[in-house]
Amino acid sequence: MLLEQYASNNRWRQVNPAAKGLFSLCGLTAVLIAVNPRVTGFVALVMVATTMLGAGIPLKDYLRVAAPALLFLLASGLTLLVSLRFDAPSGLVLQLAPSELPRAVLVCTRSLGGFTALLFLAFSTPVNDIIALLRRLKLPEVLLDLMVLCHRMLFVLSGAINDMRTAQAARLGNAGMRQSLRSLGILVANLMVQVWQRSLALYYGALTRNNDGALRFLEPEYPDSRTSIVIAALGGSCLMVLALVIS
Amino acid sequence: MTNISKANLLELQNVSFSYPDGSQGLHNCSILFRRNRRAVLLGLNGAGKTTLFLHCNGIFRPQKGQVLYNSSPLDYSRQGLRELRSRVGLVFQNPDSQLFSASVREDISFGPMNLGLERHEVCTRVEQALEAVGMTDYAGKAVHNLSYGQKKRVCIAGVLAMQPELLILDEPFAGLDVSMQTELNLILDQLHEQGITIILATHDIDFAYQWADDICVLVQGTCKAVWDGLQNPQQLEQFVAHGFGMPRVAQLYYSLVQSGLLASSQAIPRSHQELLNLIHG
Repeated sequence: MLLEQYASNNRWRQVNPAAKGLFSLCGLTAVLIAVNPRVTGFVALVMVATTMLGAGIPLKDYLRVAAPALLFLLASGLTLLVSLRFDAPSGLVLQLAPSELPRAVLVCTRSLGGFTALLFLAFSTPVNDIIALLRRLKLPEVLLDLMVLCHRMLFVLSGAINDMRTAQAARLGNAGMRQSLRSLGILVANLMVQVWQRSLALYYGALTRNNDGALRFLEPEYPDSRTSIVIAALGGSCLMVLALVIS
Repeated sequence: MTNISKANLLELQNVSFSYPDGSQGLHNCSILFRRNRRAVLLGLNGAGKTTLFLHCNGIFRPQKGQVLYNSSPLDYSRQGLRELRSRVGLVFQNPDSQLFSASVREDISFGPMNLGLERHEVCTRVEQALEAVGMTDYAGKAVHNLSYGQKKRVCIAGVLAMQPELLILDEPFAGLDVSMQTELNLILDQLHEQGITIILATHDIDFAYQWADDICVLVQGTCKAVWDGLQNPQQLEQFVAHGFGMPRVAQLYYSLVQSGLLASSQAIPRSHQELLNLIHG
C-alpha cells in the first residue's frame, strides 16, 4: 500500500507514463545486455537516484518497499557462491566456490538493476496509468480487463480481510494457536463467499452502466508529453550505450 | 389520457420474481413511478427493494408480469437494454459494488465510454458530473483512498455522466454521517431541479416524510401502499402500521397541539424547520 500511495502522490505523477515506462525499459535492457557488473551496478544506482531525486521518494520508504526483494536477492546471491559435491569421500559436501564470485556478482547486480528499474516505474506511476499505457500499446483487452479488476479487487478484498480479522480478534479469535488456525480457516472460507458475492455485484454494476464486455475508461492526458519522452529516450539510450561499450 | 401516460415514467405490473434458492424477491408487485417526481420506496430489510430496482434497470427480468418504461413494455434485446440503461441510472448501496477503476475520473468515464461517445463529449460529461457532486478536486485521486461518503458521490457521478432521466438510489444514506447526509440531500435536490426523476430506497422515515413527492411501501415483495407526499400528515397510521414508526416532526407537532402549547395548523409541518417556523409564529 505504501507503493500505491507514492505512485498516486509523487513529484512525477503528472509526467507521461510512456516516458517513465520508456526509461524503465531502457534500464532493464541495459542490465540485460551489460556484461560488466560495474555497469549493471551503475544502472541500479541511476535508477535509485532517479526514483529518489526525481520522483521524490524518501530513502527510508524506498528501502521499506525494497527490503523483501533485497533479502531474497541476498539469499539467492549467497547460494550462487556455494556448490554441492557428490564425489567427496564423506558423501555429500557443501563448499564455497570462490571461482563463482564474478558470476554471482554479475547476476546479483543485474537483478538489482532490473528490480530498481521496475521499482522506479512502480513508485512513480499508478497502476491505472500503467494499464492505460499498455492499452495504448495494444496489449490484448482481456489481459487489461483482468489487470483492472484484480487491482481493484486487491483493495476491496484487503478491506474485507481487515474487517473480518478485526471481528475475529474482538471475539478472541486469535487467543491461542488453535483458535488462530481455526479463525484463519473460517476467514479463508468466508473470503471465498465474499469474492463470489462481490464479483457478482461488480458484474451487475457494469451492466447498469451499459457495459457489454471490454472495460473502457477515459485515458488521461499529460502536459508536455513530447519533452518528457525525449528526455527519457536520451537518458535511457545513454544507459544502453554504456552497457554496450563497457565490457 | 395522453397527459397521464406521459406522466407515467416507470411502471411494474404484477411482477413476480424468485431467486434460484427459492426466496421470493417480488410477489405480484404493481407500482407506478411518475415523471419529475421524487419517490421514496420504504421497506424493511428483505422487503425486495433491491430486487425491484434491478428490474427497473433490466438486470432482472420478471418471471411473471411486466415492466413498462414510458408506457411501453421493456425491450430486453441488446439494443433495448442499452437504450434503457442510458436513461435509467442505478446507484448501488455499497459503493465498492460499483467502482471499477482505481482512479475517480476514469471510473466516472466508464458509463459514457460504454455509450460510445466521442472523447471530447466524455470529458465534458465527466467534468460536469464531478462538479454536480462536488468532487472536482478529487478527480485524479485513487478510489481506494476516498472515504465511504466520497465513494458514494463518485458512484452518483458515474451514473450522472450517462445523463439519465431517472436516477435510482438504493439506500443512499446508509453509512453516511449527518453532514454527508445533508450534502447528499442538497445534491439530490439540485438534480431534481434539473429535471431528473429520482427514486430512492431508505429506512430514514424522517427524511421520507419531509422530502418525498410520492411514497411507496413495499412489504415482502408486494407494494402495499402508495400515496402523495402532500398527504403524509394524513397517512401517519400507514407509517406506524408498516413498522416504520411515527416521523419525529409529526410526533412532536401533535404532542405540542394536544398539550395546548401550539395551535392546530392548516398546514401541518413536514420538516423540523417548518415546525420551528410554526412555533415562532
